[in-house]
Amino acid sequence: MKKKIDFVLNGEKISMEIDPLKRLLDVLREDCSLTSVKEGCGEGECGACSVLLDGEIVNSCLIPVGTVEGAAVETVEGIRESENGKRIIDAFAEEGAVQCGFCTPGMMVGAEWILRKYENPTSDEIRTALSGNLCRCTGYDMIISAVEAAAKGGRK
Amino acid sequence: MNNISTPVRRLDAVEKTAGYTKYIADRDFGDLLYGKFLRSERPRARLVSVRKPALPDGYYIIDKDDIPGENAIHMLGADWPVFADDEVRFIGQSIALVVGPDRKVLEELVNQFEVRYEDLPAVLSLEDSMALKGGALHNDDNCYADYHLLKGDPDRAFEEADHIYEHTYETGPQEHVYMETQGFVGVWEDGKVHLHGSLQCPFYVRHAVTPVLGVKDDGVRVTQAPTGGAFGGKEHYPDIISTALAVAVDKLKKSIGIFYERGEDIVNSVKRHPSRITIKTALDKEGNITAMDFDSILDGGAFESCSCIVLQRTIFHATGVYDIPSTKLRGRALATNHIPFDAFRGFGAPQAIFALETHMDHLAEMAGVDPVAYKERYFMKKGSVTITNGKIHEEVKLPEILARAKEMSDYDRKAKEYGKGGNRGIGLSFFNHGGAFTGNGEKAIINAHVKVRKRADDVVEIYVSNVEMGQGLMTTFSKIAAQTLEIPIEKIEFIQPDTDIVPDSGPTVASRSIVIVGTLVGKASAKLKKQWVDGEEITVWQEYEEPDFVIPWNQDTFQGDAYPSYSWGVNVVEVEYDPVTFEVSIVGLWNVYDVGVPIDRMIVEGQIEGGLVQSLGWAYLEKMEFKEGRIQQRTMADYVIPTTLDVPAIENDFILNPYPEGAFGAKGAGEIVHNGGAPAFVSAVEMASGKRFDTIPLTPERIMEAGR
Amino acid sequence: MSESYRPESLDELLKLMDEKDLIPFAGGTDLMVQNAAPVLPGFKKDVVFLGHLKELQQIRKEGHDLVIGAAATLSAIESHPDTPGLLREAVALIAAPALRNRGTMGGNICNASPAGDSIPPLYALDAKFRLQSRKGERVVKAEDFFKGPGRTDRKKEEILKEIIVPLKEWNIKKYRKVGTRAANALTKCSITAAAKVKGGRIDDISIAFGAVGPVIVRDRTLEQNIKGLTMEEMKEKIPSILSDYSAIIVPIDDQRSTAVYRKQVCLNLLKDFLEQDMKG
Repeated sequence: MKKKIDFVLNGEKISMEIDPLKRLLDVLREDCSLTSVKEGCGEGECGACSVLLDGEIVNSCLIPVGTVEGAAVETVEGIRESENGKRIIDAFAEEGAVQCGFCTPGMMVGAEWILRKYENPTSDEIRTALSGNLCRCTGYDMIISAVEAAAKGGRK
Repeated sequence: MNNISTPVRRLDAVEKTAGYTKYIADRDFGDLLYGKFLRSERPRARLVSVRKPALPDGYYIIDKDDIPGENAIHMLGADWPVFADDEVRFIGQSIALVVGPDRKVLEELVNQFEVRYEDLPAVLSLEDSMALKGGALHNDDNCYADYHLLKGDPDRAFEEADHIYEHTYETGPQEHVYMETQGFVGVWEDGKVHLHGSLQCPFYVRHAVTPVLGVKDDGVRVTQAPTGGAFGGKEHYPDIISTALAVAVDKLKKSIGIFYERGEDIVNSVKRHPSRITIKTALDKEGNITAMDFDSILDGGAFESCSCIVLQRTIFHATGVYDIPSTKLRGRALATNHIPFDAFRGFGAPQAIFALETHMDHLAEMAGVDPVAYKERYFMKKGSVTITNGKIHEEVKLPEILARAKEMSDYDRKAKEYGKGGNRGIGLSFFNHGGAFTGNGEKAIINAHVKVRKRADDVVEIYVSNVEMGQGLMTTFSKIAAQTLEIPIEKIEFIQPDTDIVPDSGPTVASRSIVIVGTLVGKASAKLKKQWVDGEEITVWQEYEEPDFVIPWNQDTFQGDAYPSYSWGVNVVEVEYDPVTFEVSIVGLWNVYDVGVPIDRMIVEGQIEGGLVQSLGWAYLEKMEFKEGRIQQRTMADYVIPTTLDVPAIENDFILNPYPEGAFGAKGAGEIVHNGGAPAFVSAVEMASGKRFDTIPLTPERIMEAGR
Repeated sequence: MSESYRPESLDELLKLMDEKDLIPFAGGTDLMVQNAAPVLPGFKKDVVFLGHLKELQQIRKEGHDLVIGAAATLSAIESHPDTPGLLREAVALIAAPALRNRGTMGGNICNASPAGDSIPPLYALDAKFRLQSRKGERVVKAEDFFKGPGRTDRKKEEILKEIIVPLKEWNIKKYRKVGTRAANALTKCSITAAAKVKGGRIDDISIAFGAVGPVIVRDRTLEQNIKGLTMEEMKEKIPSILSDYSAIIVPIDDQRSTAVYRKQVCLNLLKDFLEQDMKG
């Protein structure tokens, strides 16, 4: 049954009548047209659907929208224009971190989370932080370099 | 102008990172119905009856009776039906497609079908297949292909041998796990079916769909959507989805989407061919290899698909980078009631290279020699005769590649220090990969055409049917055109492949895109440059021309040059082994390649690293088992691919060796990167554990069970 | 189609649990996978969200115990300064950060998967669970709580409120998870082992194995046999200790591993613990 849910999406308060059990992933894609959030597996294994929930990285495929009542949700659409966001995009392009691109928005959310959490992340910290974001194209190395570069504010 | 290898920013990088790129499931097609397959639950059975559920308004069932043309999917053969007719051959085979607006209702409807089967004896192993269990599935011998090759005088060599070593090597299936699952949307537009999909080969899809609908070539339109990874998994499998979808769109005249969920994709899409390769080696008194005899068997699964072509690549790579004086080979692709096996990066070569390299390691061990030193003695050189009695036409730079790889990895010191069974190991593999279609296929089968068009605003458009699927093709093709025309890359526009718009430059497969089609783009651009007039519209066409130096290919006897050129590589893998849990961790990875001249070093390094990690996944993590024909690892939690913590930082380098026929000297690079990871890994684990192995995935369970 | 409830307080939650037959939903990282379906998750019953209740998120020291609210996330437990090392190690290896930011220990416990990674340390550390209903509360020992895969001692109207972990002093500790890969992995088998050795004598020892039976394997009688031994005596007894454990570790074959492997690795890890870890 539909209920009224209020939460903050990319900095804006929103309110919707919706079934609270609907996955946040589907709400973002279908009801909010935020298609940067991808479904890669639907079981919390791949990280393509990563979003920030109250500043922490989570899998939006495992979250019923009813549980984000009052919380702040951020997707790539809300991050890409920010200072950090631009730096991450730049670093990903510069370091060769992008191939097919399907995991990349999720990686970008991960990168943003890392940049907020660590001032100077080591490559081990980056690898651990991104261990739930799978990529089948790159072998990860260039993604790790990109996050390092973004954290340093430019090319490493 | 810059050196062609100097990296540029990929043209699609920013859009993809920032989430602007619309993959097929991201696009808004207006009122879209969904399609869901009813699938076989049995590996082999006669379909006695299919009782359809009562349908709510707005729901439809599409099956074999709705097909206006042939119920056959045209790939190479046409044995795979769109919808099962009177029998099913594997678990997951399409029986019908249910179409309607609500995906939940579709699932319920699929569950309400009552399918009655009469089970037949299922062919669940290569042994079953060879024994023709339950009667042959294909022809009268279950062989999709049974090939023979002969070079030199192997019989005599075996007769005169001082010692013969024979062993069998096996590899498992591999699931592609492209991050974007299979997805297609069909719309009825301008009186015909227009298919949009995540795919590698727009013209393959068209080729498959037109006979099913009974229409002419241009009676169907296929447009590639941005493709979130493919690796061969979107070469032929899209034919399976799109044929059924096209029948539904053609009948209902409505827009319909089919989007696989991950579990559905893992269980029902094609996989890499499992292999069983037996190698028998003849050695003379001095311990020199005088001949090799191969028996190479691939599990082809329930339908032919492209198993024959995959097998050709397996057998043409049987001796890898080595010049073996005499060879004899039998290669078979066998029919079973497993899911059909199909294209996967490397296309049969990784299986051959794994068997060969591991076999060579064991020969070296028996000879008491370091495997690298042992293998070096047999390196091919310019002029070497290949397994198909063709020739190596290029300078083989393996010694330079090896020297650089040793320098980067400190191989010699480590190999000496670690010894056998000291829980640390380093392994090194040698491999090559023939560029483009086998034999004369590029001329006889494909005969690629490309079009380059300068608009009046002096922007140059590239029209090809090869797709960007992550490998960087949009950027490398644009780079070739820009560099040739001496204009900025911003002045190049890569046209989204669409069968109504672009010429057929062939499929995006076989490491052919750069070396064949990229070269044509370069030639067309050169022509355009000569005709260039500012502000005028000019269109230039270029057709494929076969190099004149090749030894002509005979497709019946498989004699001649199987490939005009090869790329070459070395992978070095260093591991740590835990004898308590039998687990292995990878601690070092180094790669050196001759891919001619890399068109963009960073893009090629991306291929090298991604391909290596995929190959390592196949080597030790990615276990897929069949039980009574049913896949056991059905989720991404159970079919595990490498994470950030499974692989360390990777170092790469190139040895330049310009190929005169390739654009800017380039050769293929997309697939060779999957050829060497597995044998290098296994070699390292053999050193670390002191055990000997012959089967991948080399899981801790297998390591435990292996004797010394 | 399922209904969902979102109580504003613990009292309201207990009232709902009393009146209805509900699935308690904390982080949902297991439930959402188990009930995945097109369009909407297909829960068999109505669902009550409780992850947001502050009363259930607290982690605090109480005397010689650490009390962990059932809805505390795995990340919160991982980063809490008072979390015992063995538990922290186990929690830090569950799935990946995104999942740990959402998954809770209460959920991990009530899901009662034989491969649930926080459970073996709770067995080994003698943890107890506080269950609450409208009628009152009761405390159950970890090993009495689990009845089999997916089955627990929790009654329909009860919720798991807190996990009570005694903060004992162990001077030798070992946690090892053997998973399907280096990270984001499901467990093939695991060992959690701890000992207190004073003056060359084993005062206390605790050994638990995960993912090798319908519930966690811990045997107090076998531990009792080791307690009181000197290190030298224990070393001599290693073969018989291994053979004792061999009899009670009875794993299965599944899509992730084999019974033979699981058993062998558990015994190897135990041997390694007794021989190597207990050296110093």
